[in-house]
Amino acid sequence: MDFIKESLKELCSLMTVSGFEKKSRTRLFEIARQYFDEVSEDSFGNFVFVKKSLNNNAPRLMIDAHFDMVGMMVTDILEGGFLSVTNIGGLDTRILPSAEVTVYSKREIYGLISSIPPHLSKSGSKSSVPTLEELYIDTGYSVDELKELVPVGAPVVINGEYTELQNGFVAAASLDDKACVCAVFDAVRRISAEELKYDIYVTVSAQEETGKCGAALSACRIRPQMAIITDVNFGAIEGDKDYDSIVCGKGASVDISALTDRKLTRGVMRLLDKEGVQYQRICEPSYTYTNNDLVSVTGEGIPTVLMSIPLRSMHTPVETVCLKDIRSLADILIRVAYTEKTDLEAI
Amino acid sequence: MKELLKKLSEEFGPSGYEDRVRSVIREYIERDLPKNCEIAEDRVGNLYFHVINRDKPRLMINAHMDEVGFMVKGITEDGFLRFGCVGGMNPLVLGAKRVVSERGIKGIISAKPIHLLTNDEKKQLPKVDDMFIDIGATSKEDAEKYADIGDYFIFDSGYVEYGDGFIKCKALDDRHGCAIMCKLIDAIKQGADTEYDLWFAFTCREEISYSSARCASEYVNPDYALVIESKAVQDIYGVDDEKKVCILGDGAIVSFMDNSTVYDKDMVNKLISICKKNNIPYQLNKYISGGNDSSAIQKSICGVRVGLISAPSRYIHSRANVVKYTDLEAMYEIALGLIKE
Repeated sequence: MDFIKESLKELCSLMTVSGFEKKSRTRLFEIARQYFDEVSEDSFGNFVFVKKSLNNNAPRLMIDAHFDMVGMMVTDILEGGFLSVTNIGGLDTRILPSAEVTVYSKREIYGLISSIPPHLSKSGSKSSVPTLEELYIDTGYSVDELKELVPVGAPVVINGEYTELQNGFVAAASLDDKACVCAVFDAVRRISAEELKYDIYVTVSAQEETGKCGAALSACRIRPQMAIITDVNFGAIEGDKDYDSIVCGKGASVDISALTDRKLTRGVMRLLDKEGVQYQRICEPSYTYTNNDLVSVTGEGIPTVLMSIPLRSMHTPVETVCLKDIRSLADILIRVAYTEKTDLEAI
Repeated sequence: MKELLKKLSEEFGPSGYEDRVRSVIREYIERDLPKNCEIAEDRVGNLYFHVINRDKPRLMINAHMDEVGFMVKGITEDGFLRFGCVGGMNPLVLGAKRVVSERGIKGIISAKPIHLLTNDEKKQLPKVDDMFIDIGATSKEDAEKYADIGDYFIFDSGYVEYGDGFIKCKALDDRHGCAIMCKLIDAIKQGADTEYDLWFAFTCREEISYSSARCASEYVNPDYALVIESKAVQDIYGVDDEKKVCILGDGAIVSFMDNSTVYDKDMVNKLISICKKNNIPYQLNKYISGGNDSSAIQKSICGVRVGLISAPSRYIHSRANVVKYTDLEAMYEIALGLIKE
């Protein structure tokens, strides 16, 4: 668990706002080189890491976890040292007021997201949620200084430092989907090449939060015989229906959808049942709203399995996961990597 | 003063649990206590530093020690903490914020993620009743190991200096007032003269209807009182000028009136004359809003002549209070001027 804790903390500290993943390429490569035979990147900004099996004709298994995170982009520099911003990916403006941010320009600039209390709001409405147009980043600089410091188009991270809670729970920004990146690294690190039935192509993909096309573009190049997409899914909170959510701390889930491969998915579940591995199940009957939906129909089609780590407070700077679930996903990935595809389908 | 301000602002002290802030202040003001000074605490937890000048008119200078916070009201079967606010807070500044309890247990304020809200729900302001504190507990029984009903939480948000002399922290309202008073006490210890029987009162529970300042006033029985406070201003982009209230960096705010108090005209004039005489930057409040301990003090005993100086502050009652350091320096100078008059 020490590996998971340490590497997760570092992964979450990397700036990877969708479209700006390359800012953290150097460090990611340094980490990946410890566990993989090959590291590379493509023109879209996906990072691809390969772990070879000892078998020369092994099929290719793609395992995807997206690297990017939601964030914002500077759209204007305003009087009084404020910045207007637009969202990159889906943001909940109800949690933004008084959040701390980092603006990435020539240097990293600290800022706060402003708020106007309802009694002073322009609309005068006490019951309306502020739109992003009504929120500004307070930098504490004069407008002239700010124009020197920050170009329009600079990306902005909503700060969410890694915080340890009880029972191995942690809160941080970008656990969606760094928790899965961490699980995949943990799996590959522990996989023995002798037992490995596939050449593993790990895609740490770009821009899931802004269109989900990164992983599909990687898949197009890799042409894997099988792909496992890993992402986060909603961790249950009070009042959620138990059949519609997975529970943090009870293991990773296998997600069942019309857009995943039925036989492989069922094969994975039977394998885990047979080996007595704890996992959860959740149904996403049609769209999964993950990289799976495009990867599965890439090229002539790729059989996919979707696995999730339960996460609470999604798309906030305090996304919360249980480290045990990261280890659980890694364990599941290892079992699958040790099992021939034909055996999975036959189970 | 910045070092002290950081220490005080980061200390745990929601209304009704000012003990730790009081200890820090007491330890600070007790050092090298001069013979003509004494320190006292009253029954509600207010802390006093008294410069004894019994035949002189009595001046009380006051700042409150408490900050807004949260209290655990219940624990759900799943191990989440239901809470209520201690002091007034806009639910919009609560979502997805880090908090920490009196026992040092870290948590986050969580709620249903936006993806799972209906379109109608997305347009509504979040309600405290829909939020909970997530400490990573696995069940009610597990959560009870880390928190109990009645436990206090506060924002987990540290001291940061940013931009051109701006300071952000939780609880700057009104720990900057406490820090200024500590520095005034330092000045007294270093020989600053005063024409008053001078009391510094560090008060409790301001965030709940200024409730303990009344006790302080009864305890001290002052002729005059000066309250040192934060004033919520909105000098941010997009706000109409008349609603900005005041501007950070334009100096201390001298108030003639707010929603709780019409200030004593002689006190207001005296404060302004001190500013003019000493070239201290000050501004008048341009929008009537808010209230503070002065309301309770003014209406205590048989009436007290009360004045107010405040730091223009952005985003008060959130995890990120913001003040500008030069405004705090101006407040210190005004108060020092008043003590010497």
